[in-house]
Amino acid sequence: MDFNPCMKHKLVRKSAREFAETELGPVAGEIDQNARFPEEVIEKMRSLNYFGLQIPKKYGGAEIDSISYATVIEELSRVCAGIGLCVTVHNSVGAYPIVRFGTSEQKKRFLPALASGERIGAFCLTEANAGSDAGGVETNAVAEKDGFVINGTKIFVTNGGVCGTALVFAITDHENPRKRASVFVVENDTPGFSVGEIEDLCGMRANQVSSLFFEDCRVSRQNLIGRLGDGLKIGLMALDTGRIGIAAQALGIAQGAFDASVKYSKERQQFNKPISSFQTIQNYLADMATEIDAGRLLLYRACSFKDAGRPFGAEAAKAKLYCSELASRITSRAVQIHGGYGYSKEYDVERYFRDAKVTEIYEGSSEVQRMVISRAVLSQLS
Amino acid sequence: MLKLVVCIKQVPMVSELPWNSKTGTLRREMAEGMINPACKHALESALVLKQEHNCHITVITMGPPMAEEVLYEAIAMGADCGILLTDPRMAGADTLITSRTLAATIETRCPDFDLILCGCHTSDSETGQVGPQLAENMNIAGAAYIEHMELNGRTLRMKRVVDEFLETLEMDLPGLVTINTRTYIPRYVPLDGLQNAFEKQDIKLIDADELGIDPKTIGMKASPTRILDVYSPVEEKKNVVMKGAVKKMVDRLFDEYGDRISAAIGKDLKTHDHDEEQT
Repeated sequence: MDFNPCMKHKLVRKSAREFAETELGPVAGEIDQNARFPEEVIEKMRSLNYFGLQIPKKYGGAEIDSISYATVIEELSRVCAGIGLCVTVHNSVGAYPIVRFGTSEQKKRFLPALASGERIGAFCLTEANAGSDAGGVETNAVAEKDGFVINGTKIFVTNGGVCGTALVFAITDHENPRKRASVFVVENDTPGFSVGEIEDLCGMRANQVSSLFFEDCRVSRQNLIGRLGDGLKIGLMALDTGRIGIAAQALGIAQGAFDASVKYSKERQQFNKPISSFQTIQNYLADMATEIDAGRLLLYRACSFKDAGRPFGAEAAKAKLYCSELASRITSRAVQIHGGYGYSKEYDVERYFRDAKVTEIYEGSSEVQRMVISRAVLSQLS
Repeated sequence: MLKLVVCIKQVPMVSELPWNSKTGTLRREMAEGMINPACKHALESALVLKQEHNCHITVITMGPPMAEEVLYEAIAMGADCGILLTDPRMAGADTLITSRTLAATIETRCPDFDLILCGCHTSDSETGQVGPQLAENMNIAGAAYIEHMELNGRTLRMKRVVDEFLETLEMDLPGLVTINTRTYIPRYVPLDGLQNAFEKQDIKLIDADELGIDPKTIGMKASPTRILDVYSPVEEKKNVVMKGAVKKMVDRLFDEYGDRISAAIGKDLKTHDHDEEQT
C-alpha cells in the first residue's frame, strides 16, 4: 500500500492547479457575483481536454485514471467550485453513462463532441416531485414507430443553461416498478427542448443551473442508452461515479478554505501577534488539516476501487458523505478564523462557505449516502 | 526533419517550499520540483518551431531521479522524448562541468542535432552561463537572450533586446540559443498529453558509465567553482535623524546620500552645485 502520490498524480495536480489559479482565480469572485459562465476560460479548457477526462482516447478523450480525475476536479474546485461542478457533472453523469452503456454507434455519435467540450453534458433526473426518491419521476417517454416522444420538466439541472447533450431519465413503463425508467440522449437542438431561467442560487453561481423543458421532444431509438427499462441501473451507476466527482469537489472547496485560513492566520495581527500563534487557531487548523487528509484517503480509495473494476458504490458514498460534510464544517471554521472579514464578499472564504452546503445535497443527499452505506454494511455476512 | 534539443533544469518550487528562518536557507529536502521558468520559455519556443516546421524535440535534464518529472511534463506539452542524466557522481556540478556533461550527452545521443535551446538563466542560481558555455564547448554558434526566431532553410533569424536596442541576428545551423522570458509564454499542460507521456514512457535514464564519460570530469569534484556561503540578503533599512545647522545637514545629506537621491529622481546631482544655489 503506497500513500505517496506517484509522479503522474503530482504532475496532474500541478498542471490543474496552475491552470485554475491563473485562469479561474482572477474571475472566480466576479463570475460568482454575476452568475456568469466564463466562456473565455471554458474555451481554454476545451483545448486542454478538461471535458474529455475519462472519455476513451479513440473518441478524443484523455482517458485518465480516477485518482487523476478526482485530482483535477479538486484543483478546479479549490479555486472555483462552480466550474469544478461543470466539469465533474459533464464528465461523470453527463458522458460516463454513454462510455459505459452506449453502443459503439452511440459512442461514435455523441462522445467526440462531449470530449472536445463542443457540447457540454447534463444529467436530468431531479423533478419537482422527485429528488432523493427517483421513483417519483413523472417525465415520460412514449414509444412510437421510430423512436420516443418525451414530455416533462426537469429542475435544478447542473449545466442546464449551457448543455448541448442532456441525458434524460424518463418513465417508459408505468406497470413494472423495477423497469419503469429509461435514459435517453437529448441534444439541445431537438425540437421541443427548451431551457428555463438560470436559478438564483446560494452558491455554485457560475454554474448555469436551470430547468429543462421537454415538450413533445422526439428522439430516435438510437438515442436510448442501454436497454429499455435500464434507467434505474444506469442512473445508480452514474450516481456512484458522480459521487466521486462531488467528493473531490467538496474536498477542493475545503482545501481552498483551509489554504486561505492558513495564509490569513499568519498575516492577521491581534494583540500584536499573528493569530496563528494562538493555540485556539492552531487547534482549528490542525483539525481542518486532519479532516481534509482523512477525506482525501477515503476518496482515493473509492477511485482505486473503481479503476480496479471492483464494486465502489459504498466507498464512493462514504467519500461523498464525509467530504461534503467536512467541506461545510471547514468552510464555516474558515469564516470563523477570518472573523468579520470572512463574512464579507471581499474574501474568498465567504464564497467557499456558500458553495460547500450544496455538496451535502446534490448527487444524493447525506441522508441518501447514509442509506447506501448502511445497506452495504447490513448486507454483509456477519 | 529538424532536430531540436532543449536543455531544461528542475528547480525547487519556492512558493511551496518551507523556509528555514534560522539559517535563511531553503529546506530543499522538502522541495517540490518544477521546470525552471526560463527553461519553460525555451521549451515553448521549440514547440512553436515544431508547429511551423517538421521538428523532433529531445529534452535533456541532469539531476536526481525525481527530475524525471520535468521530462514527463515537457513531453506532455509536446516534446517527443527525454534524456535524464542521473548519477550521484554528477551531483554538485557547477555551470562549466554541467555544460561539459551536457555537451558529451548531445554529441553522443543527438549527434545530428540542428538547434539547441536553453533558458537564459535558472531561478535557483541565476548565473545564465550554461547555455553560452555549452555553445562554446560544442564549438557552435550561440546567441543569448533571444525573444523571437524565424527559420528560413538552415538560417535562423533572431531578435533580442539589448540595452533598449532591438537587435536582429542571423546564424546558420547548427547553433544554440538561450531564450528570454519576455516572449514565448509557456502553454498549459494538456491533460491528454500528460496521460500520453506516461503511457509512452519515452525517457532514457543515463549514468556516467553509460555516457562513457570519465567520472573524474563530472560532478562537484571536477567543478572549479566553490560556493563559500549561502545567505539571505540582510535588510539594511534604517532611519537616520540629522541634527544641526540646516546648511551642514544639507551638505551631509548630499555627501552621504547624493547617489541614492540621484537614482531615485533620475537626475545626476553631482553636476549641480547646491552650495552656490543656497548662497
